[in-house]
This record gives sequence, structure tokens and C-alpha cells, in this order.
Amino acid sequence: MTNAADHLLRRAQPWLGTMVEVSIVLREGEAEASQQAITAAFAAVAQVHRLMSFHEAGSDVSAINRLEPGQSVAVDAHTVNVLRCARLLEDASAGIFNIACGAQLVASGQLPPPAGASAATAGTAPARNALVVDHNLHVTKVLPCWTDLGGIAKGYAVDLAVEALQAAGIGTGCVNAGGDLRVFGDADFPVVIRDPQAPAQAGRRLQLRQQALATSAGYFSSRMHAGRQSSALLDARNGQPVPTGRSASVQAPICMLADALTKVVMATNDATHPLLARFGATAFLI
Amino acid sequence: MNQFAPQALLLLGAFGAAGLAAPAFATQYMTVEQAQKVLFPEASSFRDARLQLSTTQMREVEKLSGLAARSVGWRVFAAYHDAEILGYVVVDDVIGKYELISYVVALSPQAVVRQVEILAYRESHGFEIRSPAWRKQFTGKTVQAGLTVGDGIANISGATLSCTHVTDGVRRIAAIAQVAFKVPAAAT
Repeated sequence: MTNAADHLLRRAQPWLGTMVEVSIVLREGEAEASQQAITAAFAAVAQVHRLMSFHEAGSDVSAINRLEPGQSVAVDAHTVNVLRCARLLEDASAGIFNIACGAQLVASGQLPPPAGASAATAGTAPARNALVVDHNLHVTKVLPCWTDLGGIAKGYAVDLAVEALQAAGIGTGCVNAGGDLRVFGDADFPVVIRDPQAPAQAGRRLQLRQQALATSAGYFSSRMHAGRQSSALLDARNGQPVPTGRSASVQAPICMLADALTKVVMATNDATHPLLARFGATAFLI
Repeated sequence: MNQFAPQALLLLGAFGAAGLAAPAFATQYMTVEQAQKVLFPEASSFRDARLQLSTTQMREVEKLSGLAARSVGWRVFAAYHDAEILGYVVVDDVIGKYELISYVVALSPQAVVRQVEILAYRESHGFEIRSPAWRKQFTGKTVQAGLTVGDGIANISGATLSCTHVTDGVRRIAAIAQVAFKVPAAAT
């Protein structure tokens, strides 16, 4: 069994509001090409950051959030990929997963109000099927909502970065965007899951091969806001914060699915939720 | 860990001196020297260009960035290809609620941020552990009960750790570059 950690080249950059780490197995005499491959992987992550950031006024997400109901905007094909997957998961989970929770996250102080978006664009509760995407990369806002892709875009960025590494000829590696990660190639990667009760310590250790793993928990985002407990993790069915104290981890073939499905496991507290098997995923709670 | 920037060593010392001994994840990604080569591969030399900000400059930095200028002295290297200046590398450390991050920012001679690379990441619940609630969680656990050295090479999965303080740090450095070493556009 190869232990990938023996000869890793690792770099990290701040993107998507967190630290993104790229590790690849270094091949003899190819140090420079390897550095270029990592640079390409970070460029892919940077692109997702620019398109899907809730904070940046120039992103596709901000353009969508500024739409009044009935209005449309053209967006990038990558944004459409994520919106389509989000809609699939929203429908399959009967709204447990929903990207239309932006207004609730703004109200609880987890996100800043989107610049230039009027109150009429926000909505009061997470709306179902609030956006429609057509085949010409146009997004139409059907119902008022602020979209936040924080629960799925990191996973997509990881998948794009892995594709960039593979396209550059890298055989084995790992991309980790703040805890949502994917490993590829012929090696086992050691992964430590934080203990939700003591996040600086390992709650579980496992070996991962050719798979994605994402974890959601409230221990870093949870805080008091206006006298109430606030968390970045909501139950999209009612917009209420999910109880913290546990963490949900999902293993799936791609990181976008692993990332998004952690929200379903977290909200239902069910590591055997039927949706997991449908997407080739498994889960555990700590 | 001896490849940390000297500032980082001091800060790490501060963590240790507090006697908190919380087990922590740590990763060293690259040295300053390695970072220089990644950020300016075309450079033939790097010269020490460390900076001492005047009071006036610090006020300008604060006005431009909306952040406290924090330090008078800054560790800077200028990248050259022969006599031509290619840009600057600024080395910095930030302490978040849970972690210490050493990083470098590459800037063009016009003070535009080109790239950010993390040099080292180390986390500690040092400050948090002082509260009784935190202390209680570690009752009965020895220092050694924490993470093994091998975890330094593992990937960590968990709740997303916010990186706002790095983003703020980059904004502060961009302002410092504007104030202290921006090359005026060629006169037309």
C-alpha cells in the first residue's frame, strides 16, 4: 500500500472564505511541472470564488441576488452546473437541501446583506424552486430569495481543481477546501475528522482512496447573534439553525455531492438517509 | 518548524509560553525562499527590502484599508530580473480565533496583489481553552493524548474554518504597498 504522505508537494491559498490546500504526489524530476499543475488547480478554485461568492458584488450569485422576481440574468456555465445540481438535490430531498437560505443567514449575522439588493429581492422564508435555469445559461428568479451557494460551491471547486490537476497529468493527489476534500489516484490518504466536542483533536481517522469526503458542523460558525444562537447550518425546510454539537461527514464519488449531502444528514440527524445511497454516498455522525 | 519566519517563531513562542499545551494541527507548506521562487519564477535575485513605516504612512494605510496598520516594521523582499524590478514579496503572520497562519503576498511594482501563498498553518485553542467550559473538555487528558506528529501530514475534515483574518491581512498589505513602495506610473 502506497502511503501518499511520504512525498507530497503541498501548497495552500486563501479562497472561498477558507484555506484551500492542494497536495500532490511529487514525481521525480517534475517539480516545476507539478508547481504549474497546482497553480492551475488554484486558478480553478479562484474562478469558482469569483463566480459564486455571496460577498463579492461582481459574482454571478450577487447578480442573481439583485434580481427582482420575474427578472433574469446570464451567468457562467460553471454557475449553471452548481445551480442544476442544487435544484436536483432540493427536489430529491423535498427541500431539506435548499440554496435559497441567504436571507435567513443574513438575518442571523452569518452573511452580510448583499450589496445593491433591495429588500423585495430577499423573501421571508426559504422558497422552494425559486430559480429557473434555462438552456442558454440564463437564470430567472421566480420567487424572492437570496441564494447562497456556501453549502455546495466549495465541493464543486474541489472537483474542478481535481480535474485541473488530472488534466495537467498529475496522477495522485488531494484537494481540501476548508474540510471538504477529494482524493484521486492510486494511494490512500490519511484523513482526520475533527472531534465536534474538541475541534483541535481528532474525532476519527480514516484512509481515503479515489473518493470525496465533506464534513459539516457548527463549532466554528456558531455564535450568539441578537440574543439567539446563530449558525451557518440551517434546516432549509424552516430556515432554523440545526442543533450543533455533532458533525456530519459524507463520502461520495465527487465533492459537490459530498458537500451538499452533509446538510441533509445534519438537518435530519440521519446518517442512513435514503438520499445517500441514491447518489452513491455514505455518511457518519460524530 | 525552524523554517518559520522569525516573527512566527515569536508568536509560536507566545502560544507556548501561555502554558496551554492544547494539541493542535500544524502544517508547513513552504519556506519564504521557496515561496519567492513560486511567486516570481522569472526572478534572478531577491533583495532585502524591509520596511519601516512612518507615523504618517501608518495613518495612510489605516485610511486606505480600514484596518489598523498593526506593525511599524514589515518583512519585504524585492524581486529582480537583473536590474529590473519585478515586484515584492511581503511576509506576514495573522492570528485567528483558532489558528496562526504565516503567509506571503506577491505584489507588482504598481502595488497590485498578484498571488497569496500560505507558508505555514498552526492551530491552537490556546486562547479559548482559558475559559472554564473549554478547560473542562480537556480535563483528564494529557498533552500526549492529543494528536500525533503524523497528523501534520494528514488532511483535516471538519467545519469550515473562516479565513477572514488572512483576507484582512492581504488588504492591509495591499495598502502598505500603495503607501510605501508603489512606483508612480510613467509620466506621460
